[in-house]
Amino acid sequence: MNCVHSRFVFLIATLLAAAPAATPAAPAFEGEVAPILKQKCWACHGEDSPQGQLDLRSPESILKGGKSGSAITPGSAERSLLVEKIVSGAMPPVGEKLTEKEIQRIRRWIDQEAEEHVAAVSEKDVLPIFQMRCVVCHGKRRQEAGLDLRTRESRLRGGESGPAMVSGKPEESLLMKRILAEEMPPADKLFEFQVRPPSSSEVETLRRWIAAGAPTDPSEPMQAKAAEAVFSEEDENFWAFQAPRRPSLPVVKRGESARNPIDAFLLRKLEEKGLGYSPEAGKLTLLRRANLALIGMPPTPEEIDAYLGDRRPDAYERMLDRLLESQHYGERWAQYWLDSVGYADSEGVIHEDRLRKHAWRYRDYVIRAFNDDKPYDQFLTEQLAADELIDYRNLEEITPEVVNTLAATGFLRMTPDGTYSPANGSIGERMNVIADEIQVLSSTVMGLTIGCARCHDHKYDPISQRDYYRLSAIFQSAYDPYDWVKPTERHLDIALESEREEAAAWNKPIESNIERVERSWKATADPLRDQILEERFSKLAEPVRQDLSRLIDTPEEKRSATEKKLAQEHKNVLEVTDEYLVERFPDYKEQWEQTSKETAELKAKLRAEPKIRALFDMGGEPSPAYLLHRGEAQSIRERVYPGVPRILEARLEPYRASPPEPEGQTSGYRLALARWLTRPDHPLTARVMVNRVWRHHFGRGLVASAANFGKTGVAPSHPELLDWLATEFVRSGWSVKHMHRLLMTSAAYRQSSRVDPVVEAGDPENVFLSRMPMRRMDAEALYDSVLRVTGRLNPTPFGEPDEVERKADGEIEAPGTKAGRRRAIYVLHRRKTPVTMLDVFDLPQLNPNCSERAESTVAPQALQMMNGDTVRDHSRYLAGRLMDAFPGNRGKQIEQAYLRSLSRSPSEEEIAAALASLDELTRHWTQHLESENHDEPRAARARWLALGSFCRAMLSSAAFLYAD
Amino acid sequence: MHQRSRKTFSRRSFFSRMGDGLHGAALASLLGSDLFSPAGARGASRHRTYDLKPRPPHFEPRTKSVIHLFMNGGPSQVDLFDPKPALQKYAGKPPPRDIVNQIEFANEIGGFLPSPYPFHHCGDCGMEISEVLPHLAKRADDITLVRSMYGEHFNHEPSLYLMHSGRTLPGRPSLGAWVTYGLGSENQNLPGYVVLDDPKSLPVNEIQSWQSGWLPALYQGTRFRAEDPPLLNLKPSEDLPGPLVEAERALLRRLDETHKKERPYRPDLDARIASYELAARMQVEASDALDLSQEDERTKEMYGLNDERTASYGKRCLMARRLVERGVRFVQIFIEFQIWDAHSNLEKSLDYSCGKTDKPVAALLADLKERGLLDSTLVVWGGEFGRMPIAQIRGNDSAGRDHGPKGFSIWMSGGGVKGGYVHGATDEIGLNAVEDRVSVHDFHATMLHLLGMDSRNLIFDRHGLKERLTDQYPARVVKELLA
Repeated sequence: MNCVHSRFVFLIATLLAAAPAATPAAPAFEGEVAPILKQKCWACHGEDSPQGQLDLRSPESILKGGKSGSAITPGSAERSLLVEKIVSGAMPPVGEKLTEKEIQRIRRWIDQEAEEHVAAVSEKDVLPIFQMRCVVCHGKRRQEAGLDLRTRESRLRGGESGPAMVSGKPEESLLMKRILAEEMPPADKLFEFQVRPPSSSEVETLRRWIAAGAPTDPSEPMQAKAAEAVFSEEDENFWAFQAPRRPSLPVVKRGESARNPIDAFLLRKLEEKGLGYSPEAGKLTLLRRANLALIGMPPTPEEIDAYLGDRRPDAYERMLDRLLESQHYGERWAQYWLDSVGYADSEGVIHEDRLRKHAWRYRDYVIRAFNDDKPYDQFLTEQLAADELIDYRNLEEITPEVVNTLAATGFLRMTPDGTYSPANGSIGERMNVIADEIQVLSSTVMGLTIGCARCHDHKYDPISQRDYYRLSAIFQSAYDPYDWVKPTERHLDIALESEREEAAAWNKPIESNIERVERSWKATADPLRDQILEERFSKLAEPVRQDLSRLIDTPEEKRSATEKKLAQEHKNVLEVTDEYLVERFPDYKEQWEQTSKETAELKAKLRAEPKIRALFDMGGEPSPAYLLHRGEAQSIRERVYPGVPRILEARLEPYRASPPEPEGQTSGYRLALARWLTRPDHPLTARVMVNRVWRHHFGRGLVASAANFGKTGVAPSHPELLDWLATEFVRSGWSVKHMHRLLMTSAAYRQSSRVDPVVEAGDPENVFLSRMPMRRMDAEALYDSVLRVTGRLNPTPFGEPDEVERKADGEIEAPGTKAGRRRAIYVLHRRKTPVTMLDVFDLPQLNPNCSERAESTVAPQALQMMNGDTVRDHSRYLAGRLMDAFPGNRGKQIEQAYLRSLSRSPSEEEIAAALASLDELTRHWTQHLESENHDEPRAARARWLALGSFCRAMLSSAAFLYAD
Repeated sequence: MHQRSRKTFSRRSFFSRMGDGLHGAALASLLGSDLFSPAGARGASRHRTYDLKPRPPHFEPRTKSVIHLFMNGGPSQVDLFDPKPALQKYAGKPPPRDIVNQIEFANEIGGFLPSPYPFHHCGDCGMEISEVLPHLAKRADDITLVRSMYGEHFNHEPSLYLMHSGRTLPGRPSLGAWVTYGLGSENQNLPGYVVLDDPKSLPVNEIQSWQSGWLPALYQGTRFRAEDPPLLNLKPSEDLPGPLVEAERALLRRLDETHKKERPYRPDLDARIASYELAARMQVEASDALDLSQEDERTKEMYGLNDERTASYGKRCLMARRLVERGVRFVQIFIEFQIWDAHSNLEKSLDYSCGKTDKPVAALLADLKERGLLDSTLVVWGGEFGRMPIAQIRGNDSAGRDHGPKGFSIWMSGGGVKGGYVHGATDEIGLNAVEDRVSVHDFHATMLHLLGMDSRNLIFDRHGLKERLTDQYPARVVKELLA
């Protein structure tokens, strides 16, 4: 008798003691069992959505069971949940219990009849068990004891201990024996490999499958198309699934208002409404608007002077060109992309929120791509499949370009991923990571809510559940949920030699310091540890004592398997943790705490070995991919093969994968996806991107739901314009900078943002762009602008992110260095420590990504600006610099404060009002300093503090925060 | 437009204090019409202005506000609320494989472990509560005990997300955010959703436990600290004289008024000026709300403020009462890290966590009742899951219990639920909820129902998708609990 059985039975054995022996006559279900169940159970377990998902109305549904697994084990009433629940009195929970006689009938039916209702067990039923419980150690990359449990052949072949199974004979099959003996999966490996032992119903399924001869399912050819949904004409004709066609330009009445083709489309709609454009905005308004739009910071006083002095007719275009050439342009526009990718410097999900030390290379890749105006098709292709473009396994030389391009695949490595932790690494959780990446891909690149189809066919769009899993299968060669690489290990070990040397040189003195600290603790701890071991050994029986004494003299790596097992068994004796040690010898507690603090501090200073956080093909055949019923990992249904949503193939050349090179190590799945997505006639790719660029300039997309071009999204306000832009984008060689120039040189963009009663009534939501929208700075624009205006911006680009710290009052900030602070994009983006200043101004939480930021107006923003130390310190810094530059000249100081922060000079009334405010503030500050009995020169300090208060008001003002 | 709800709660009105400038007709018209209706206009969310003004519920509510006593770590049902004599019978016996495969620390499995505490019948209702909760035992007639909760995941982080936002993943709006989104708040000078976290440490999901997800940030929980100032930057770190602060504010106001005058038809500029005024008023109101020196000695004693063990939690319980008294809609109290996470030293661990919380929690119930606030305040006590009926053996420590999400206990009090009532049951050993099972979604739907909202109709339109707290899951209002 195996021990599983005995353990299981003990729970109910006592309750069964009184049961009389079964009589031989077996009752039929319909005649004798169903009436009992009907009377006592069907009230809860008979409806269409029964309790616990258990339906007791037919033998089949009883076998299928509910949430707790199969209700019966055919042939063994004793091992049947149904009987256990009834006998224990747990069921039925209310109403009349079953009589002894009724229970007997059910028991006899299970023992003698139920077997014939058992549907044949197929390989599909046992695959999830192997996949979830076994293949992590007996699969593709790891084959413990030479055993591979993935295919029928490899199971029959077995490993070092012989065949794993004997077809038709479960009791002779080694794998059954080991599972039943609870030797497999091994208890001491469960935690490490994130595996749980099979449930008793799974064990039963395995047994029945082997007993039935371990049948396999007929394999389906790769290109086989199972019965696919046929699309309605309406679905096929939906606008977003048609290739964009370049429309001819409309003729408008007020042609003189148009500066470029965009205006023709916009003006036609406005004219239909009886509206036109608002007047052109002033020169400085346009300068500030363009600066905030392209580089996310206002112009400097020098730039303002230069622009005002430029009398050439194309001064505006030249100004745009200058901004587009700026390093700061990429830093601004990369942030939008990083939002939609869900960029973060930490893994999230669990408390530890472990740092991603190599994520920043991807951030730098994106900044460079925008600055270089990398064609968008290439940009996407590199992000999806750089590892399939570059034969990185056979590189002759590692160049900065290679590293940068491979870092592009960080694209699908940015969503929250807690699977490095054994407690959060189940197969279901790995699939959640993949699902998040699908969400990033579909919302960012395709503008579709494909994620809905993970659990069921999409309710509104013609996207089936099969479509979802086909798309997901494209990634299986890189992200294989059954053959998982932890996020903390999924790196390409490719780096420039110079970087490696730099890191090593940095780390060397720190490492030797760590060693020194640890050595000194060891000198204290070792004798104490020996003392404890001696005490413990003295209490052991002689033979054990001898064995263990020998054992501790053998270094761990030299121990035999038996010795290792022995060590494991006597862990309680052999293990003396430092914590236990200092509990026993409190005198050394302080030294231990000091040691651990010092080593932790030192370790924090260590620079990570340079690596690339990448997504790459794992090589070889990936595990098969399946459609999962309700998205549940354990509910494996039919097999699926890599593919894209069928509706998009209806009128576009289908997705077809082939490895990039015949002998290549990659499947080519993702490269093929990239090629398919970047076809010039793809209905979504170009439209989604131009709509995104449009939205960032005009505040609202032509498709207002930028991440949803499906039926539940908002239909385009100007469909022809959208198509014209999409085709123009492709025609320009997918140039994003070309789109900026086009949009920003339109008359639409150059309008004033003033609202008057006519446009307010005719176009209240500004859908038709009867004026330019007034825009609030987003979190980064505000953060960066404050730095630039106050002169504290450190413009150093790229590289490891800047540290953040939590101050005593809870505020989180990036302290920077004497060189100032870097732009927000270079600050550490750790999920649990968002910089407060960014956080209160709607920095999104990226779970997994953000397609559109919320814009709130809440009191904590006011508190941050009015009372926060950060803004105060920046304001006083600015005040100090103004006083240095224009000593004694308060008029000039005020003028500069206006120029720097609001990009304009103050009017005379404004200067007068500001002087009056300064007088009043100076008076208050002087009084305050006197009452505090300050030792510094009070008049000078009061003037500085008053100017600081003034600068803070400027930075807190609506005029600073909103761009006209 | 809010008359109906206000009439219902005419006990104390805070409308006289509302003066945040957001009451103009222009803003009222911007309030979402699709908020409570699944048939709302698509994509309208883009241009809506959100605020905290009280909004009418879907139907007559049974409670006005909620105090959620969140018990981080997973309190052990079999040692606190759910007596299982059978564990004595099986004591020390090894568990079967179907229990083994539900355990997080698979390498630390011990035998069945009976509770070290006896249970007693309490109150007139005779509800059985463990000896380790002597103060709560006296309030048994005021609470509804649910013994049949079940979750979905055996680890803390996902279970906290589930309990707070309805899914095991981060990123969705929390319960309190949904409630304030749906109902607004009764006091415009305080946040609608206040979090009182433990000064010792944040909960395991840190600030993500009270985020607003994709709901506007306005609805996220605002952390009030137990020390002064209660809110980050509520006051400048420098102690400045009033006239100076007023002069600074006047300057900013002048700049903003001038700016606004030149830009008509801009409600966002009005809202911004209003937010600065609210910030100024909050400095007064929040400081007053959290000023416990206004409480009498008897009250302080009752909450355990004079005892080092109970002072910290007692302080936050008392603050919670003062906040709901002022019309705050949703108050959530967290407790240090994972205090109920008794993986080892079961008895020592429970003595500590119960010792810290039992007296203040019972005092909160008594105090609310005495002040007539318990009828309009729902108090909820519970963690993210329960614990295993078997022992966990870790190192040389005495036994503890591993996480048990499949059957655990929570309780509720006041705000429209029955007193002295026990709902549902776990199996013989306290492992699985088997009778009248209550899912986390059921729990959420029930809480919304008590607040006068239908979980199916509390909707946020996100990229054209209708989002709900209970998502697409079946969610049943547990009517049996309602008074």
